Amino acid sequence: MSQTKRVVIAAVCAALGVVLPMAFHALPGAGNVWLPMHIPVMICGLVAGPVAGAAAGVLAPVLSSLLTGMPAAPILPSMTCELVAYGLASGMLAHLVRTGRLAVDLYVSLVGAMIVGRLVGGALQALIFSQGTYSLAAWVSGYFVTGAPGIVLQLVVVVPIVAALERAGLVDARYPGKE
Amino acid sequence: MRTFGGYVWADSPLHRAPAAAKLVGLVVGAALVLAVRGPITLAAALVAVAVLGVVSRVGWRRLLAPLWGMRWFLLVIVALNALLFSVSEPLFSLGPLRLTLPGIERGLLIAARTCLIVVLGAMLTATTTPQQVVHGVRELLKPLARLGVPTETAALAVGVTVQFVPTLLRESRQLMRAQELRCGGFAARGIMRRAVSYVRLLVPVFVCAVRRADELSRAMEARGYRVDRRRGATGERGCS
Repeated sequence: MSQTKRVVIAAVCAALGVVLPMAFHALPGAGNVWLPMHIPVMICGLVAGPVAGAAAGVLAPVLSSLLTGMPAAPILPSMTCELVAYGLASGMLAHLVRTGRLAVDLYVSLVGAMIVGRLVGGALQALIFSQGTYSLAAWVSGYFVTGAPGIVLQLVVVVPIVAALERAGLVDARYPGKE
Repeated sequence: MRTFGGYVWADSPLHRAPAAAKLVGLVVGAALVLAVRGPITLAAALVAVAVLGVVSRVGWRRLLAPLWGMRWFLLVIVALNALLFSVSEPLFSLGPLRLTLPGIERGLLIAARTCLIVVLGAMLTATTTPQQVVHGVRELLKPLARLGVPTETAALAVGVTVQFVPTLLRESRQLMRAQELRCGGFAARGIMRRAVSYVRLLVPVFVCAVRRADELSRAMEARGYRVDRRRGATGERGCS
């Protein structure tokens, strides 16, 4: 995949990171529950690599905050750092994990990125953004309980979307010639 | 789905102001709004934003439109603050829920701050074309180029993102309508049914978006646009 296409895919995924939360906010409290901004960032990492994933992780929350006011400015820094971690980790794991089976590669990379992003997010909250007031219970509650529907949504949709993009010939196939 | 307006043609001081200044102004304005603590400073911020709204000649309908889409989000903010995050004497309590006056005040203040920042953001997009935004970002990032940051690539990415938001919103709406015609769902009352409808929408939305990205990158490369890993974007400018 050319560098130009990687940049454009990162930008389009960032634009989806602005659009999808706007759609999902028709559902009450949807942002924290369905985590719609995570999906395009992780897909960007999986199809275009870690740098593009990280770029989408920066652009999506910053531009969304500027254009729509969501996320609100006080939580923007922590959310940006967390999304960068998701984009980087999904891209790096997609590059490293090669089992010979597309679905297994993608699920391992996706779950790994979900864990890494949450660990990084929790560490940053504890060390920088909510220093002294953050606890393990708050981390579990914020990242796993409240966002449980979002976790399920990511597990259900991310891999089929990446597979659909490969089938449509829009991104490089991981295993060319193999169905 | 929330509305997202684009540029509004008008001749006003805000339309004529440099994009870089407006971007800096938005960041500074947002920081000042976040510093609002009491009713007097909130009233001052409201007056300032109202004056800017009048000066921009964009129209209040366009500036306030994004707030309607955020009504649930704002309601949840007020409710959470009013019921959960205060230890004052409750007006009413039910189990862990304690409705307090300071909680209500705090919820309303946070919601008001969010509304003001959203209106400032709407003012930026209504008075600045995407090309001007890209130019503004490029100007602001210029000092970083000396440190080796690929500022041209960053400006390109910001520009493509800003340009794609209205396009993808329009396509998402078309896909939603097509899905409604086939099997209904978005107007369904149950939250789970509505959620399932949104999930069904994700695959076609992503395929359409990446197809557009593929077409755009091919068109850019055909015109000689290249992104160098170390030097950033080179070649013909403004071909996006």
